[in-house]
Amino acid sequence: MLKKNGGLICAVLTTLALAGCGQGSQTSTVATSTQRGTLAVDPPLRVASLSASAFSSELGATTSGQQLLQLAGTPACGVDFYYLKYWTVDPSGKPAEVSGALMVPTGSGAQCSGPRPIVLYAHGTSTDQTYNIADISDPNNAANSESAMIASVFAAQGDIVVAPNYEGYDISNLGYHPYINGAVNADDMIDALAAARTALPHTFTPKTTDSGQLYVTGYSEGGYVAMATVKAMQAAGEAVTASAPSSGPYALEAFGDAIFFGQVDIGSTVFAPMVRTSYQNSYTNLHSTPAEVFSSTYATGIDSLLPSTTPLTTLFQQGKLPEAALFDSTTPTSSTGIAAVDAAADQLLALPSSPPYSAADAALFDAGFGSPYLINNSYRVEYVDDAVVNPDQAEMELLKGATYENGQLTASNVALATSPAVGLRQDFKLNDMRNGGWAPKEPMLMCGGDQDPTVFFEVNTGVMAAEWGPLVSAGLVSVLDLNATPSGPFAVLQGAFQSTYGAMVAAEGASTAIQSYHATEAPFCMVAARDFFAQVP
Amino acid sequence: MQKKIATLALGTALALAATTGARADNATPNDIRIGGYFVHFASSATDITGPYTIPGLNSSINNTTTLYLGYVRTLSSHFALELAMGWPPVTHATARGPAAVGSVPYNGQKIAGIRWLSPTLLLEYNFFNPGTRWRPFVGVGVNYTYFYDRSITAAGAAVSGGPTSISMPYSVGPAVTAGVKYHINQRWHIVASYSVAQVNSRLTTDTAGVYRTSSVHFWPNAVVLSVGYSFGL
Repeated sequence: MLKKNGGLICAVLTTLALAGCGQGSQTSTVATSTQRGTLAVDPPLRVASLSASAFSSELGATTSGQQLLQLAGTPACGVDFYYLKYWTVDPSGKPAEVSGALMVPTGSGAQCSGPRPIVLYAHGTSTDQTYNIADISDPNNAANSESAMIASVFAAQGDIVVAPNYEGYDISNLGYHPYINGAVNADDMIDALAAARTALPHTFTPKTTDSGQLYVTGYSEGGYVAMATVKAMQAAGEAVTASAPSSGPYALEAFGDAIFFGQVDIGSTVFAPMVRTSYQNSYTNLHSTPAEVFSSTYATGIDSLLPSTTPLTTLFQQGKLPEAALFDSTTPTSSTGIAAVDAAADQLLALPSSPPYSAADAALFDAGFGSPYLINNSYRVEYVDDAVVNPDQAEMELLKGATYENGQLTASNVALATSPAVGLRQDFKLNDMRNGGWAPKEPMLMCGGDQDPTVFFEVNTGVMAAEWGPLVSAGLVSVLDLNATPSGPFAVLQGAFQSTYGAMVAAEGASTAIQSYHATEAPFCMVAARDFFAQVP
Repeated sequence: MQKKIATLALGTALALAATTGARADNATPNDIRIGGYFVHFASSATDITGPYTIPGLNSSINNTTTLYLGYVRTLSSHFALELAMGWPPVTHATARGPAAVGSVPYNGQKIAGIRWLSPTLLLEYNFFNPGTRWRPFVGVGVNYTYFYDRSITAAGAAVSGGPTSISMPYSVGPAVTAGVKYHINQRWHIVASYSVAQVNSRLTTDTAGVYRTSSVHFWPNAVVLSVGYSFGL
């Protein structure tokens, strides 16, 4: 109605030659296509524009920012943060609109404009549904510190950064996150990259362009996603210059077995429902009701619990999830009727103790047992029986005492289970990075710390290195253990990590510090990734 | 709602005119006037709100001077209807708030330009008798303001985060005037007046699908100096 009136007045005015009625300036174009990789809004919104000095002083205002400045270095470039909306596909193959960040270096420094490499970054597990890594301007957004980390490590040193928020977060209306679904996560990464390449010429700095060098990295869940992305791009014949997946659950089947054998990791009560919801939605081969997996205390509503707009601490307080008790502290017994299986399973179902574990590890694992607990004993027994009958060879070798020493795992057989029978183990195998008989063709650095209590180092990073050892030429895949005796190209970072963590132990005590071990590694691994990328031609 | 009020106001004005004797017994009941419109916007706006918007961002509207055009129809010895408008001026909005948003300059930046057509219909009462050389008058009426040619400047786009469209719905509000007419002769006269209108609108910007809004209220008060010519039809 208003438009009609306006049109009429414009027409009258034009007739009277009083004034022309030009159109108001236009906003971005909304794409009509929902094809994978389509930039949904072009150009994307610039959320924030920070000069090198403004970014530097913003970081300098907080303790964590100061640590980041020290580690990542003073910003050489300013950073423009863009909010990307683009189309990918959900696990059922339907178009799905999602979002992410495009960070573009700015400024007059030589490395801040012109053709620049792209760093494709995958973020770590978030329980916050509003996670938006583009939103550097909102200190309350769950993604804020991770956004600042990658901006300072990569973008402020001259790399273009592309980082998806993932399906299930921010504007995605999928209703859940396809957690540790390698193929879907990789598609999301590849589609974010395509959308970012479309957006680049339409930014405020159109002369900052894609040099063609592509580095893929990520941390924790994102370490896994980064590796899955390398695998998918390689399979599709798309070039990846180098990659640096860090602290990810790559050897998922072996890792899953270790957890069900009682090596409960910190964070497992959060990871478990996210994994179940993801796999049940994608593969529908898990138990039909959550109550068959989860205890009656938590089963109701757990399928739609995470990610959530309610803070995790509140969910714990509300009794929606246990903080640590993944398993029942009452030890169950196996009853397959096959004596050898029951004997082996019962050993694996027992409460972890020292020996065989170190006292610290046994204490860590035991914290994963309690009451009320998350996962029913009946389901745990079913899983462990299958892991005994259809073993993951890598985890079996680790149980027998294989260790990660001098940069390699002392294990000769790291094969996946041949034919797991339990749905969850089938899904773990499908998404395990050993699956598919592939190996990286371009340089890869796997960074982590061998005391990581959240994503175990040996069973993930160690197993992948052992898997690929015979398949790749020497030096193509390298491992950085931040906790190892400092030596080699990353000795300074190793030393810095160890002194940082040492200071945390001194200040908070070992049992508190260990809770933050996994998060503490992240910026060290990202700086290692940057240094690694810089020396790849 | 606004439309109803406008119709009502207009209706009242005409009814009032009718009751006071609409027949023009004057041989030259039509005036056209041309002059200068010196507009001061006593504007106030609420802080801009929306996603990705830091608190404390505001704007003000710059003063403008433009051409005044008026048509006056004498209704009776004392009553007249005036339709007044200015040549649609480009009015600029200036950013008010922090010196910079991130590293993008803000305070004092000219962020948008808007043209607006703002006819005002006034029922005026003229003091003294026709033929008096000086005739002061007062008037009340209704102002309709239509905003168009809304465009964001480069500085505005930079702070908004990209190409941006602006919408500002039309406004209908009351207007009052007071002035004095000096008759040079039967045909020519000069007029000085001061008028105030109330304009309320809501500024909405759309940058890449992100909507930000600010309620804008202003009381454009204008001094008009014009010369008029009377004629019959």
